[in-house]
Amino acid sequence: MLRLDARYFAGSPFVHLKTEVIIIGGGSTGTGIARDLALREIPSILLEKGDFTSGASGRNHGLLHSGARYVVSDREAARECITENRILKAIAPHCIEATGGFFVSLPEDSLYWRDQFIRSCMDVGIEAEPLQRDDVLQRDPAINPDLVAAVRVPDGAVDPFLLVIENARDAERNGAKCLTHVEVTELLAAGGRIRGVMARDTITGEPHDIEAPFVVNATGAWADHILKLAGLHLGLILSKGSMLITNRRLCRHVINRCRPPGDGDIIVPNETVSILGTTSVTIDDIGRIEVTPPEVSRLIEAASHLIPAVKTTRFIRAYAGVRPLFQFADAADGRAVSREFVLVDHGARDGLSGLITITGGKLITYRLMAEKVCDLLCGKMGVRVDCKTAVTPLPGAERPFDLSGRLKEFGDVPLQGRGETLCDCELIGRGEIEGILRQGRLRNLQDILHRTRLAKGTCQGAFCVYRLLGVLQEQGLTGGGEPHEILKGFLEERWKGVRPILGGLSLREEELIESIYRGLFNL
Amino acid sequence: MRYDLIVIGMGLSGLMSAKTAVDAGAKVLVVGKGTGGLCLFTSGIDVMGALPAGAAMGEALPRWIERHPDHPYAKMGWEGVREALEAFAELFPPPYGFAPEGEGNCLLPTGAGTTRPTYLVPATMRSACRLEKERTLLVGFQGFRDFYAEYAAAGLKCRGENLAIPEIAGRNNSATSLARLLEDLPFREQVAAEIVRRLRGETHVGFPALLGFRNPMEILKDLEDRTGTAIFEIPILPPSVPGMRIFRRFRQHLIARGATFLLGSPVSRILRNGPSCTAVEILHPPVTQVYEADRFVLATGRFMGGGLCADEETMREPLLGLPLSASLPREHWFERSFLEGREHAIHGVGVVTDGDLRPLDGAGRPYAANLWIAGTLLAHQRWIDEKSREGIEIATGYRAARKALAS
Repeated sequence: MLRLDARYFAGSPFVHLKTEVIIIGGGSTGTGIARDLALREIPSILLEKGDFTSGASGRNHGLLHSGARYVVSDREAARECITENRILKAIAPHCIEATGGFFVSLPEDSLYWRDQFIRSCMDVGIEAEPLQRDDVLQRDPAINPDLVAAVRVPDGAVDPFLLVIENARDAERNGAKCLTHVEVTELLAAGGRIRGVMARDTITGEPHDIEAPFVVNATGAWADHILKLAGLHLGLILSKGSMLITNRRLCRHVINRCRPPGDGDIIVPNETVSILGTTSVTIDDIGRIEVTPPEVSRLIEAASHLIPAVKTTRFIRAYAGVRPLFQFADAADGRAVSREFVLVDHGARDGLSGLITITGGKLITYRLMAEKVCDLLCGKMGVRVDCKTAVTPLPGAERPFDLSGRLKEFGDVPLQGRGETLCDCELIGRGEIEGILRQGRLRNLQDILHRTRLAKGTCQGAFCVYRLLGVLQEQGLTGGGEPHEILKGFLEERWKGVRPILGGLSLREEELIESIYRGLFNL
Repeated sequence: MRYDLIVIGMGLSGLMSAKTAVDAGAKVLVVGKGTGGLCLFTSGIDVMGALPAGAAMGEALPRWIERHPDHPYAKMGWEGVREALEAFAELFPPPYGFAPEGEGNCLLPTGAGTTRPTYLVPATMRSACRLEKERTLLVGFQGFRDFYAEYAAAGLKCRGENLAIPEIAGRNNSATSLARLLEDLPFREQVAAEIVRRLRGETHVGFPALLGFRNPMEILKDLEDRTGTAIFEIPILPPSVPGMRIFRRFRQHLIARGATFLLGSPVSRILRNGPSCTAVEILHPPVTQVYEADRFVLATGRFMGGGLCADEETMREPLLGLPLSASLPREHWFERSFLEGREHAIHGVGVVTDGDLRPLDGAGRPYAANLWIAGTLLAHQRWIDEKSREGIEIATGYRAARKALAS
């Protein structure tokens, strides 16, 4: 894929840099750490080899856990979730839709487990309201009418892309520096101490030499890849989770099965679509993750028990993320903060001081994970500054999530400042895209797509990406090469997500798209 | 009320069958859920874009057919295809006609800045056949989101500009609304003035394919006179105004010749009596209508048209359960790459027929005595890769009706 014109790349050609903390990884944890440090006025540089949210932070359910899912098996994890759930609702309301969630009991599900579930929720402090069958169906008519009962909990939906971008934006506003498309190639150490990193711009190849007394490895499932540069190893187990996106919003609430967690038993409403998942398959190679048709069939089967309409719904995309799982069997040499995430001080564990790894965990606990890392760093630096992220709202928090407002706005005939509507599925106008372009730091098409909901709706970019390229061309941003290369690159990337779900009703959409791009445009 | 022929499907193949039948004096009912790919994708008439560049159709297509003996074209040969194309072209007398440019395919620019081969070129696209980059300006409309002139121009290596027309500023403009506006003289005057203002010596102007429904050549000539340039249309994202022109012309012709035209009417069932089909059932809740006929042409298209459907694992023809040419396991339907490498195998699957386009049952015998198949529902064609959609639709639509009426 071609790079965009360099004038929209905000990063100037850094070659030698010096800072206090280098953060590797631009997911929710990495950007969370950058923001936490920035609010404590500790300088940092974040390095991300792709764009923000390229890893698991952009490839999950978008579920704002209440903790109820773990409450029976792991109260500590559940307690963390509900605390963070409340904090995120306060600091990032614009990234969250507080839908509420139902834990649904079907006739074959154990009511004994349900009792245990409700009791555990009460113990941990998760609001759990038992509901009768009719009451549930009235509030969410899509749910399987065979249900026996359900429990309402404060689950919700979160936009992980926006959340991560907002963290990065606020970090930079407070003095941090974030470099995307910069890959760490070496960890520099001397005398048992980390000294910095060598890195490389993945697009220009330009080398970066960054000095810092502390390096935080916040690369999630890639943690062992980074540690390998220092000859270290955590032995993470990689577990692939696959998800499916439906072409419409199937339900109003997050739906879970009220029984011990299993495959395909969560459905999350997410703006105009719903997301079903997930599976858990151990993989060896993180470079090659794909969703297989049997997984798709399994997810559809499982989710159809919760919402029967799943069987007759058109799917628009499948995707998979990778969870890094830490083996606590040899936890003696690691410092287990909780069973949900792991914080490793490689000074204590491996004799390489200044290097810290944070991995595991969930999107919902990213802020807590960042806080723990920063507390550890502050301790090592010998400074005492309290964490401020739990009480400081993110920049866009004054504009809370407002779907109906948006629908009304786009219903107006005069376009005002919005410009023509580029994306009908998600109601994105030219004005919004031009705003994103002005923010800078865009190196390729995916960078833009990470910052907008354009192409995330039912047509998965089939119409709007052509239009987006039209706008980019007008702004002189498509670089010098063949403009079709970007379009072709997008269509191939899209195909990876679409091909596994092709079957049933989705074949119609496929024929339409192929008729346009292979037929009409002869690509 | 009993018809000589009922045509199921209102895409180009169904319309062509109906036209052929009414022209032969038959009493025809044409029923359709929608208008197929015609009003979405059609601009020129593709016959076999995959032939080598510069090859004369009359020489290269017969050889191609020899190498593809299962292809629908093999059932009528080049002579049969040409006869059908001529019958189609009769409907479009000058000035808005369809004709080949030279012997073979002509490469026409598209809204993505690519070029695509087509055989019969509509009169409004003729000036695009020999595109001179330095002398061509592409124009779009500011705020029209289905054609970006600068993007298309970048691919075609010419210049592109967007016209600013106050009358349409600040709202989402659809292709159909712009096509209608261009039929109005005052609007066209503004457009022409804007084009002139932006010309930098160019002699040719590429325009999104929106030049009205009724008299596109009149509009084109008017713009040419006002701008002093040669104007041509460029096909854009769906819907397709040129496709709608074809649909309108067929509808006008069919209704004038006494055909019954039922658009928006999905056929729910084909009734049979022994070896013959007897009637179609159209469900308009709460009413069910039954229409009887002596002969039937099934031209329901593929997945978009509803001619084929699938569940998670298998494909089928939903109205009669006609046997399909292959039953592929789902993982073989589509290739790993969308654009590169082999064709997606699913597109070659369809209904198998005899040489007269009668569908065959599992034992290789005609499925019914009075049923014929036309269009992309047919097996062993890959219109997307072949660039053969309209040719297949016209040739098989024509042949199915001829064979039906001869029976």
